[in-house]
Amino acid sequence: MRGIMKKYIYILSVCLLAVWSCDDKLDLEPEEFISFDAAFANEESVEGILLGVYDEAGQGPSYGGQLQVISDLLGATNQLTWQGTFIQPREYFQKSMLVDNTWAENAWRNGYETINQANLVIDNVSIFQDATRAQRVEGEARFLRALIYFDLVRHFGETWVAGGANNTAERGVPLHLAGIVDYGADLSIARATVAEVYAQVITDLQTAMTLLPATNGEFADQYSAEALLARVYLQQGNFAGARDAANSVITNSGHTLAPTYADAFNNDSDGVEDVFMFQVTNQSLFDRQQLITFYADQPTGGRQGDIAVAPAYATLFDDPVNDVRASFTYVSVDNGLNLTRKYSNQFANIQLIRLAEMHLIRAEANLEAGTTTGATPVADVNAVRTRSGAPALAAVTVADVLNERQLELAFEGFLIHDLKRTQTDVGTTAWNSGTLISPIPQDEMDTNPLMQQNDAY
Amino acid sequence: MKKTLLLSYVLTFMFALSAIAQQTVTGRVTDDTGEGLPGVNVVIKGTTDGATTDIDGNFRLSVPGADAILVFSFIGMDAQEITVGSRTVIDVQMASSATELAELVVVGYGTQSKRFVTDNVAKLSSEDIEGVPIPSFQNALSGKAAGVRVTQQNGKVESGITVAIRGQSSVTAASGPLFVLDGIPLINENESQNGAAVNPLLTIPTSDIESIDILKDASSAAIYGARGANGVVIITTKKGKEGKATFSLNVSSGISRKTNGRDWLNSEQYAELFLEAGDNASWTDRSFVEGRLDRYSNNTWGTPNQVDTDWEEIALNDGHVRDVDFSVSGGNNGSTYFIGAAYNDTDGIVRSNELERFSGRANISQKISDKLTIGMNFNYSRTTIDRVSNDNAFVTPLQAIAQSPLSPAFFGPDDLANGETGPFTRTVYANFLLQDEFGFYETTMNRTIGKLYAQYEITDWLKFNTDFAYDIFGQTELDWDGSRVPFQSTQGQKRTANVNTTNYIWSNYATVDKVFDEHTVNVVLGYEYQQSDRRFNSVTGQQFPSDALTLINSAATISAGLEQTSGYRFVGLFARASYTFQDKYIFKASVRRDGSSRFGRSTQYGTFPAVSVGWILSEESFLSGVSAISFLKFRASYGELGNSEIGNFAALGLFRGESYNQRPGLAPFQPPNQVLSWETSKQTDIGIEFGLFDGRVSGEIDYYVKNSEDLLFNVPLVPSSGQNTIASNIGEMQNKGFEVLLNGDIVRTGDLNVNLGLNVARNENEAVSIPDGSDIVTGRNIIRQGEVLNSLYMIEYAGVDPANGDALYYLNTENADGSIDRGTTNDPNAATRIIAGSPVPVWIGGLTGSVRYKNFDFSFTFQGEWGASIYNAGGRFQSANADWFDNQSADQMNRWQNPGDITDVPQARLGEGNGSSHSTRWLEEADFVRLRNVTLAYNLPNSLIDGTGLSSVRVYATAINALTFTNYSGYDPEARSDAATRTTLPGAGIDFYSAPAAKTFTLGVNLKF
Repeated sequence: MRGIMKKYIYILSVCLLAVWSCDDKLDLEPEEFISFDAAFANEESVEGILLGVYDEAGQGPSYGGQLQVISDLLGATNQLTWQGTFIQPREYFQKSMLVDNTWAENAWRNGYETINQANLVIDNVSIFQDATRAQRVEGEARFLRALIYFDLVRHFGETWVAGGANNTAERGVPLHLAGIVDYGADLSIARATVAEVYAQVITDLQTAMTLLPATNGEFADQYSAEALLARVYLQQGNFAGARDAANSVITNSGHTLAPTYADAFNNDSDGVEDVFMFQVTNQSLFDRQQLITFYADQPTGGRQGDIAVAPAYATLFDDPVNDVRASFTYVSVDNGLNLTRKYSNQFANIQLIRLAEMHLIRAEANLEAGTTTGATPVADVNAVRTRSGAPALAAVTVADVLNERQLELAFEGFLIHDLKRTQTDVGTTAWNSGTLISPIPQDEMDTNPLMQQNDAY
Repeated sequence: MKKTLLLSYVLTFMFALSAIAQQTVTGRVTDDTGEGLPGVNVVIKGTTDGATTDIDGNFRLSVPGADAILVFSFIGMDAQEITVGSRTVIDVQMASSATELAELVVVGYGTQSKRFVTDNVAKLSSEDIEGVPIPSFQNALSGKAAGVRVTQQNGKVESGITVAIRGQSSVTAASGPLFVLDGIPLINENESQNGAAVNPLLTIPTSDIESIDILKDASSAAIYGARGANGVVIITTKKGKEGKATFSLNVSSGISRKTNGRDWLNSEQYAELFLEAGDNASWTDRSFVEGRLDRYSNNTWGTPNQVDTDWEEIALNDGHVRDVDFSVSGGNNGSTYFIGAAYNDTDGIVRSNELERFSGRANISQKISDKLTIGMNFNYSRTTIDRVSNDNAFVTPLQAIAQSPLSPAFFGPDDLANGETGPFTRTVYANFLLQDEFGFYETTMNRTIGKLYAQYEITDWLKFNTDFAYDIFGQTELDWDGSRVPFQSTQGQKRTANVNTTNYIWSNYATVDKVFDEHTVNVVLGYEYQQSDRRFNSVTGQQFPSDALTLINSAATISAGLEQTSGYRFVGLFARASYTFQDKYIFKASVRRDGSSRFGRSTQYGTFPAVSVGWILSEESFLSGVSAISFLKFRASYGELGNSEIGNFAALGLFRGESYNQRPGLAPFQPPNQVLSWETSKQTDIGIEFGLFDGRVSGEIDYYVKNSEDLLFNVPLVPSSGQNTIASNIGEMQNKGFEVLLNGDIVRTGDLNVNLGLNVARNENEAVSIPDGSDIVTGRNIIRQGEVLNSLYMIEYAGVDPANGDALYYLNTENADGSIDRGTTNDPNAATRIIAGSPVPVWIGGLTGSVRYKNFDFSFTFQGEWGASIYNAGGRFQSANADWFDNQSADQMNRWQNPGDITDVPQARLGEGNGSSHSTRWLEEADFVRLRNVTLAYNLPNSLIDGTGLSSVRVYATAINALTFTNYSGYDPEARSDAATRTTLPGAGIDFYSAPAAKTFTLGVNLKF
């Protein structure tokens, strides 16, 4: 009996030994991920985070296409029709967004994810030994941060009106300028004023212009920042600033208009006209090219042609027969409607800024400022027109330039912003109606006690 | 040789000695049919001396004298005591126990007599679950055990199954119980890649299962420590019994049909309603609608060729099921074996949704010596499933109900001229038939579960067990979209994904079983190590030269590849001791200390104790005079359990690799939470068990309070912080309620036996405290202090303004004086959301019955739930007064048309969102009663099978889900959306194009020989 007990004690001891020897097995590290600390630990990984910012900004809810789509749907009167079954874009088309619109929510979320990642890059840029590299990385991050803030404030904030009282009310969007790593802290934040957001965007772009090289492969360069600055100034009605920035891009960037209108679109890589693009490859996730999803038919990789070009769009053209832009469409096999040919390559890059826009900005700004910096307004407009076979004009007014923007830049996400800045009503909806501003997402309202909802919601 | 000789001398001597002082008794023990009963314990009362009957039921025993009393005991039989007297031959016929109380329950690392159990354990035997030819064995639990809610997500054959024991125990993904098969914690991770869950336990055929024990309270589950918080389901597979081989063959076959259909507009109504909607739209007119009708109808609208397609009938078709299982079991010379094979072929009610499963099992044990028994359990299975997309995908079959009835499903013969054949393409939504015909999604699960074990009896009261088990789960998914499948222009796309998870577990434990006079002691002490490793990889290719070439070998472009690994480790040290005094007073305590790799180093270990007491009052003298009470036990328990199911690296702040333009990048994956730790559930249970009138009526009543603390939850972060959620321990939740179990042998005669069982459970769930008391809203669900967890949360629909047909909503805003403004508005943005319903029921119950009359037997199970609400999130498309071109439910014809009309369907206004906001308009009560299964069987009389070599032939007919009683107007009161992502669950209580359950009618034959 005693022997048996002894044996039992031996066995038990061995068991216990085995337990303790298992102890270190509990310290398991993931192979698929790296820690926050490791991500900030060296140059390669911080550069990797910068790549991640491009990827984040290029996702569906932002520049993968939905920001462009809602800008055009919200501004549309008779240029296009929403044909699809999704409720969220339809609400934009009807100018009656509900507070739980998930496209608005996703644009907001994706925007702030991008901003936070850009902030993390800027916070950690000191890790680079090489000053030039540090400058480039910071410049790219600032460019992307400015891009997102500019679109967030245009969609979720009160409309900028030069000298307007709204600019200084807390009706912009929250400004986070430092990366968040501690999510146990209080994350609530109030809205900044519209003016503060614009000021930050301009600061970032001006800083980026000094930091970035003149050329930078497919990534943001000095002229990407300056071109965006031209767009920002134009939105603010700062015509001199817009003119000079656009002029600098046209003069110095080396970009030229593509030989034909068709050449300007559906490109797999940056073309001569492209000042900045979000890159899409056939290895990109599906949501990185949502312009195809909503503008193309099924054989082209889209849904069914959810956004169709309306017959009235053709009436904007003075010479629809010769102007190839008027017939730059095809018939959807799904719904028999005309679809734009701008989006007919499933893996094309997303065009964000192309040179034609700079010509039209310079033309408009010169007209408004009464100057002819770089070129006469009519020369700029004709540069764009003659490329597409449209007859050259003898003289242009601001209205002509604005119309030309619709002919040239339709379906590229400009419409509502042009209408707002020119204080043009959208059909029966006043240009400054609260219903043309997206709702602050319900989730933000639910979790952020400092957040103020927009008036219409 | 010498030793043997010596031993036989000693034995002979002892035998001679005993012959002098003692007398020898022999005899045979038989069961109620007269068959010899092996393995019966024959013990001299008051001693530990005794014998066990041999294979024919014979025993031989020396007794001290004539007044010795022999106690005959056997599991499932009534014990008998016989005074020896002068007899030398004592034959005994044992009778089956009148009550369930004599049965054994499996409690984890051992078994216990139900009579002495101080825990709440529900036991189901193979009889309760057999003959149900449904692939998922969990389905068979429905309505059978009090407080156990089994919900199949929807009518897909492979669909995920939720098993909730005593309410919602956790908020995170893993709020289901731990499944343990023959001591092996099973891999139960859903590995589906298409957003809809696949039940990983599909691989286990019901025919392998001997019993299922559900550990419901903390005291029973505490032995599983950190993984027991949601209860434990212990599955025991069949074993052989010593004796001649028994062959069993079971074949059944049947048909299935949807349990419910809905009424949709026919093509005339569709045209009428949408033309009216076009007339009423401010932004467009009738001509726009006419254009659409032409397109959708292939220009047949308003012509003699107009069609009226019933899309529901195309999406949900008739299915069939075939189920075959064969087994042979037996044993001799210390070995037992059970060898079985099973085959199931289910063609589901959802078009192109099929499952085929082969499986085999061998459970073998061998007694090497009196002390050592070794054995192995081995099971392999291969399950192939033809799947369809998740409920939120346009190409999932049931979303076809949104198509216009004017659209033909396929191009007609007249269209062949234009070269277009096959599914019609100009439908409202992409035609799922394109996916159906030109794509496939095939999931194959290969699973092997094996265990080697040894048991060594050190002494007659001390034994040591070691079990080494492997669970190897492999799954392959082949996802092919041919060139004509919607939403791509890549000339075909193929994704091949493989996942391999291996779990191994090594358990070692020692058991003490000792009876000293009036004291019975049982002690288990052991440790366990578990290691789980998962590896996933996939490759996606595009651009195929032909739709006939679907291997990635043929792809011109490799567009994506993934490799992921994950894993976890568990170390557990456990002990359990129970002590019974005078067979009346029972005390039990257990403790488990678990360590897990899932938590930060400082919080890696947790200790989970439990205590319980029992008092068998019917053994007390003051009750001995009450003849009506045959058994009465009071029991109480308290225990603490953990829940660690939050994902493998949830505490860490992580970045993952991303790419941009095929260059490497990094992106934040999840924020860190250094203080993440266990969720702890503390549960108190008080219960009584009783048997009345010789056990003719028996039952259990339990009351429990279960507090879950430090709830694991992915808390939504402020979106402007750049992260969506953070894994956190939040607040506290309570489930409390009671369970009543009643069983009555209403008629017990030779020819007729009637038995009825009723189980009812009431559970109240409440989020007791939430950090800062602030609401956590996820979609249409809210966690609010003082309310049911994940209550449904939305604005309240107020019907239609009779004056203008506007949809109205209650404002429900708070007035300055604190009262609620019950005014209405037509602007949904102006209305305040309210808590509108509970996603879980308050009452669940089951009623089971069996009637045995001569050679016939009949059984049924009703199951019911009350108190839950269901939100049909598809309502804003399906029943939205023709807001867009989705076909509408037939009730939408009651729309408002003229001032003064009283209706709850607003005016049809195309595209204007009149009443289409998420609101209580589509919220309904989900109460239901369902006839879960009913079986009628006939056992052929012996006269017919004598001489055939068969020992029994049973012919049976079974119906599953034959009847459903509910007021829910959607497809099914049990169906819930299966659409989820890796990090989000489907919303609680949300229905979204979810297929109804199938009702299945089968005929079967069971042969034994």
